[in-house]
Amino acid sequence: MRDGIIVLFLVTVVIFVLGHVIGDPAGLMAPVDASDQEIARLRRQLGLDRPFTEQFASYFGSLLRGDFGQSLWQDRPALTVVLEALPATVVLTLVALLFAGLGGSVLGVLAGARPESLLDRVSNFLSITALSVPNFWLGLLLIVIFAVQFGALPTSGFGSWQSLILPAGALAIIHGARVFQLVRSATFEEMTKPYAMVARSKGLPERLILWKHILRNTAVTMLTTIGWEYVRMMGGAAFAIEVVFAWPGIGQLMIHAASRQDFPVLQAAVIIAGAFVIVANGMVDLLYRVLDTRIRAA
Amino acid sequence: MEYWGLNALLQHAINPSLQRFLSWGLLLPCLYLLTVTLFALSGGELAPHDPTAQQVLARLLPPLSASNRGFHWLGTDQLGRDLLSNMIAGARLTLFIGFVSNFIGMAIGVALGTLAGYYGGTVDRLIMRLSEAQTAMPMFLVAIFFLTVLGPTVLNVIIILPTLVWPAFARLVRAETLRLRGALFVEAAIACGSTDWTVLWSNILPNLAPRIMVLAVIELGHVMLAEAGLSFLGIGVQPPSTTWGLLIARGRPYLAVAWWLAIMPGIMLGLTVLALNMLSRRFAATTGSAA
Repeated sequence: MRDGIIVLFLVTVVIFVLGHVIGDPAGLMAPVDASDQEIARLRRQLGLDRPFTEQFASYFGSLLRGDFGQSLWQDRPALTVVLEALPATVVLTLVALLFAGLGGSVLGVLAGARPESLLDRVSNFLSITALSVPNFWLGLLLIVIFAVQFGALPTSGFGSWQSLILPAGALAIIHGARVFQLVRSATFEEMTKPYAMVARSKGLPERLILWKHILRNTAVTMLTTIGWEYVRMMGGAAFAIEVVFAWPGIGQLMIHAASRQDFPVLQAAVIIAGAFVIVANGMVDLLYRVLDTRIRAA
Repeated sequence: MEYWGLNALLQHAINPSLQRFLSWGLLLPCLYLLTVTLFALSGGELAPHDPTAQQVLARLLPPLSASNRGFHWLGTDQLGRDLLSNMIAGARLTLFIGFVSNFIGMAIGVALGTLAGYYGGTVDRLIMRLSEAQTAMPMFLVAIFFLTVLGPTVLNVIIILPTLVWPAFARLVRAETLRLRGALFVEAAIACGSTDWTVLWSNILPNLAPRIMVLAVIELGHVMLAEAGLSFLGIGVQPPSTTWGLLIARGRPYLAVAWWLAIMPGIMLGLTVLALNMLSRRFAATTGSAA
């Protein structure tokens, strides 16, 4: 937890250094045709002529008060704009995570239990392929197949559950592929351990060994892997998918803010999404400790 | 006298470990990567058409069709430009950014990792803390912010991408250096009076090279995917420069009428990363190092 707070603090420091020390907020915010005097006045207004330490103190103070500044593009508090976009992202990523976790784990256990079988070879190759393509490209491919060719599903928008299928599907395929890879190798490893051999030699049916004994030992890997995938999605992987499907979440908001040079919204979005990543990270760590008694004992 | 058939001769001539190494799973990725590298090195010379030549009458032609300028293997875009030629021309910048960024990330990671593993103590703690903090930080978000503030230029993309990969190199190299630090040959080298630099450079690093290479091949794929993502989102490489990620973005508005514009460049990129992934697995299997 303490580590998480330190990292979040570091994120704000990095954002400050990038934005205020290296970058030039006044230059970005001013209209294109502003004169040098106007930019200088804006700089004074924003307090950008003060020393960096003083600027950082006031910047950090307002962040603590939840004041991320006004959105330049929507003329509303930046935090409100970001918090409005948050639910869409959370829904999308959680649904995708559910399917990625279920599909990846079940296939991973089945493939890992029968190495070199047809199922193992095919699903392994497919998962490596899925991990080799950009996720936004997979999204476009799904649009071409299911929306353009068959006209079966909506390509964009937000509202009905149908519009969730394609974006969540694209995310689930790619993140499920990584869950599959890790669960598969964990299952394979457990299968060769002595306890599995004992169970086998005393005549326990293979199905029972797999779903009772092996699964219990791979469950920790499974859950932490799934947690890591959530971190990856919130850390940016889901954002390109949002843009592809015009899903009104944080990712799309960030790209809109970036193209409009809406500095406060961009900053708020990075920090809020960053907080999500850090909290998810911490939860994975915690889960790992609670589930794996071997670590607790150590 | 024994008779040697050609097959037997070959089997005899090529040593067994090399034989196991040679297979379709290795040859196909190598051939593909070689082709793509040739595309990148030639920079449009190998393209069947001039990538920028527009042709109003031959707009949005599907793959495998012909215009009066010639045959278009992968069709043409909304301005009648040949798609395959654009993809070949885009190979140069795509691979260049990938290689350079990955190399910088590798250099930083290997340097910091060897320092941390060899000297231990405060240096180690400091470097590992830094790498942990960086791994926990949502770097893709920071990258978006960085590129928006400092401008989406090729140079800035090359500056920000190594930050995504160096911690992986640092962790691997640190663990391996730590392991080798206590090895007999390193102790012997130190006892002979070798300087730290000599030990690191000629005793430790050569032993790490295979594993670093495996990781570098994997991370090159990651870097290329990240660059494609940034360019697709419009905050990476900007037109008129071309990368595969940018070509996908350019084809996106025409998805309903000309699917090939967005899909084909993605296939070329995906196959490149797939080839890299397959190669790294093969390397890992033959050098006995888990990736």
